[in-house]
Amino acid sequence: MADLLFELGVEEIPAAAVAAIRDQLRDLFLARLEQERIAHGASECAASNRRLMLHVTQIPERTATQEETVLGPAKRIALDERGLPTVALKKFCEFQQVKLSDVVEIETPKGKYLGVTKVGGGQDAAALIAAAIPAILRQLTFPKTMVWNDSRVPFIRPVKSILALFGTRLLDLEFAGVRSGNKAPGHLLLSDAYFDVNSFKDYFEGLSKNFIILREDERRAKILAEIRDIAEELECQVPCDDEMLDYYVYSNEYPVAFSGRFDAKYLALPEEIITAFMTREKKLLPVYDASGKLTPHFVGVANIPDENRKVSRGNEKVVQAAFEDAQFFWDMDRKEDFFALKGLLKNVMFQKELGTYFEKVERLAALVDFLVNETRQDGLRGALHKAASHCKNDLLTKMVREFPSLQGIMGGLYLKAAGEEPQVWRAIYGHYKPRGLANEKLDDLGAGILSIADRMDNIAGFVGKGIKVSSSKDPYGIRRDANAVIKIIADFRLSLDLAPLVRLAALHFAKDETELQRNSKVIRELLVSRLENYLKDHRQLRYDVVNAVMVRDTLVVLDKILQAEALAQLVESGMADPLSSLHKRLRNIIGQNERCPFTETALKEKEEKLLADVFQGAKPRIDDLILKQNYLQASSEILEMKPIVDSFFEKILVMDKDPVRRRNRLALLQRIDELLSSVADFSLLVETKPGGKT
Amino acid sequence: MSVQNVILKLQEFWAERGCYIASGYDGEVGAGTMSPDTFFRVLGKKPWQVAYWQPSRRPDDGRYGQNPNRVQKHNQFQVILKPVPADGQLLFLDSLIYLGVDIRIHDIKFDDDNWASPSLGAWGVGWQVMCDGLEITQFTYFQQAGGIELNPNSLEITYGIERLAGFLDNKNSLFDLDWGNRVSYAQLKLEEERQFSVYNFELADIDMLRRLFGQYQKEAEKLLDHGLFLPAYDYVLKCSHAFNILDARKAIAVAERTALLGIMRGLAARIAQKYVQQTEGEDHG
Repeated sequence: MADLLFELGVEEIPAAAVAAIRDQLRDLFLARLEQERIAHGASECAASNRRLMLHVTQIPERTATQEETVLGPAKRIALDERGLPTVALKKFCEFQQVKLSDVVEIETPKGKYLGVTKVGGGQDAAALIAAAIPAILRQLTFPKTMVWNDSRVPFIRPVKSILALFGTRLLDLEFAGVRSGNKAPGHLLLSDAYFDVNSFKDYFEGLSKNFIILREDERRAKILAEIRDIAEELECQVPCDDEMLDYYVYSNEYPVAFSGRFDAKYLALPEEIITAFMTREKKLLPVYDASGKLTPHFVGVANIPDENRKVSRGNEKVVQAAFEDAQFFWDMDRKEDFFALKGLLKNVMFQKELGTYFEKVERLAALVDFLVNETRQDGLRGALHKAASHCKNDLLTKMVREFPSLQGIMGGLYLKAAGEEPQVWRAIYGHYKPRGLANEKLDDLGAGILSIADRMDNIAGFVGKGIKVSSSKDPYGIRRDANAVIKIIADFRLSLDLAPLVRLAALHFAKDETELQRNSKVIRELLVSRLENYLKDHRQLRYDVVNAVMVRDTLVVLDKILQAEALAQLVESGMADPLSSLHKRLRNIIGQNERCPFTETALKEKEEKLLADVFQGAKPRIDDLILKQNYLQASSEILEMKPIVDSFFEKILVMDKDPVRRRNRLALLQRIDELLSSVADFSLLVETKPGGKT
Repeated sequence: MSVQNVILKLQEFWAERGCYIASGYDGEVGAGTMSPDTFFRVLGKKPWQVAYWQPSRRPDDGRYGQNPNRVQKHNQFQVILKPVPADGQLLFLDSLIYLGVDIRIHDIKFDDDNWASPSLGAWGVGWQVMCDGLEITQFTYFQQAGGIELNPNSLEITYGIERLAGFLDNKNSLFDLDWGNRVSYAQLKLEEERQFSVYNFELADIDMLRRLFGQYQKEAEKLLDHGLFLPAYDYVLKCSHAFNILDARKAIAVAERTALLGIMRGLAARIAQKYVQQTEGEDHG
């Protein structure tokens, strides 16, 4: 048994890409071990921007041995009538490199065969691993690759060193023109370029001697603890979101938090500008006092201790200069007539082949009008039309040209400063929200509606252009746009059928009806898949619950969300199982039968009359509940009919010989099925209680 | 440290490491990358190590001399190492140490930033190098130039001279910099910044520049037809500068921008191909 240590030294990998590469490496490596039948103990994979490390314990020196039977030709083919080996058998032996005497008879269900039993495995694990590593590294995928040396091997950034230690042996291998050795890169600034490694002890001690904190969780904890210390010292709050924290974790091997301050006069700038400059441009955190007011301090994370305060002084100057720029842009932009910028959007391209931003805002105005009607928000009509028409003007402001992440926000702020009414500036301000599905609070309905219009236009444009989206590739953020549409609808509880909106948005980008239908279909499927993702991954609902509501092909998003929420509650309260068995039973008997007409007078038996009475009595009330989207109550009222349905099934033979009766009974059951189905397909629920009748 | 000392020290450092110290290009360029000493020499097989100081013009960055960080003409120190050395990052850190940067107390980071020049059909992968939050250098592995895949690749290190001097001399504004021997940066540059900002943003003759762009383009094409790719390239650079002023004047509409960039890229690609064809025979010599 021996442990394996593998380290790849690289020049700085972009922080945002590190974690995904680490996971790929781990998954590929462990899969390879399994494929090679190499047993192993615990494994750990850790990464920084300068190294990827894999540590796998308890690997046997040799792979597991196992007996393997290789079947040859059938006995009647392998031996001639005199019992002598035929050409077929000789070829088989040759191919398998065995002697004729090794061949045995093997009984199979298909008759007697000849074959051999071979012992496989028992290979040198170290050799297999040494061969596997370069192959695995070649399999890694990256957002963007480069080449830099004669090997012409594409990788995310140049490879500097390879270290592969198996027990006490250094494995010899090569990747991208770099030969493995006994060196690991030191800290970029605090130690020598490399340190020597000839044992596990050397490696782990070397890391700590050389100021390298290898494990992400340790770096994370150190950063958070030090930020907390600074916050306490300043008696302030220093919030750090996951995106910033990940950036710090994956761009420093020895992270140290530091703080600095800036001239309080810049606090006169809008808070959004200050925080955007700090976080997006300078990767620094804003500091708030106990009441949530911005203070003239900042916190950052360096790759070295800042005992001489050089790092914080340097950053103070950079921040000061950035705010000086911000002040300049803010002052210059406000001198311009914001509304007049719309005309200049004719010079700003939205996307190649998709026209200018001027054309885009014209489309948005139309989409917003449609959305105002559909969501019955007549009070917002005028404001949203105006907001839509001017929502991209800020692309021409100096501030947004310099700092694109402020788009939308700046438009809002400039209009607010110019005294525009809140409904207009707020809609523009917030129309790039939400950025993701996380807990981002949306607070302005107008901004939400404008955002839906903008994003549907993006999606329709890119789909019209033939851009494909997959789980790994989404260069234009189409999935993100679709996610945002779902989240806005969910957060504001908008009753909105997306199907006609999809068609309207796609209309601008299709040259004929065929193309329009094809594009609309692609967009609808995208929205459906994002809704499913929202329910399953974001809302953490059971997959069968989600399937049960997704089965109907409609795009009334809110209905599906409410149905799924109701179903989750039914599952919780134990009411889902009987509903599921009821629905399954109905479905079984209805089968593939066409929808039959129902005639009250054709009812004969007591039980069927009772069921028809109860059903017809309950239906208007249940329909009303469904209309009011009270799916929970609707379901429980349907459930109340279950005993009567059960006794119907006990007493009545649905498949009566008389076709009139049979069709009438089917018709009654079909009506109940339809009512249930308008909440969800309960038959798709996986029953939790054993012994539930089906 | 004065501006001239930064230049002198970088020249010394890179000369010691085998670079030929060139003069910057003698016409208007937006960056050191555009100089023929980079554009042509990264093509083909021949090794090439060069370092030069390149004044660079970006009309749109002018601020009338009112902004502490931005000017329409700044100075770059450009280094090309071809093929890529095995220890390029270390060489670069050594150069900072040589300039007097104590890398153990300053937070130097390689922050990913890929570079592309749509007008030259060139792009690379690399970082902006930050020092205590200040961008001091672009560090790029060239992948393509003139639309041609590069093999071998080159490493390009582009220092921002004013940034470095400001950092080393602890100055808040580049107009507070000392150029050297009691000549101040402001004395040299302030009036230049003011006048060129007025010219670039307000007075540049749009029709004339558009016309010139067309004439430069024609001249480049003619020269290419005669196989004279070196003067042809000069005219592409003239196109590029005319384009940049037009852009600062906000005179370039969408479709036009794409078209003009396409023209320059097309010329750059033809020029690069001609260069490669002509020099191929010499490569093994």
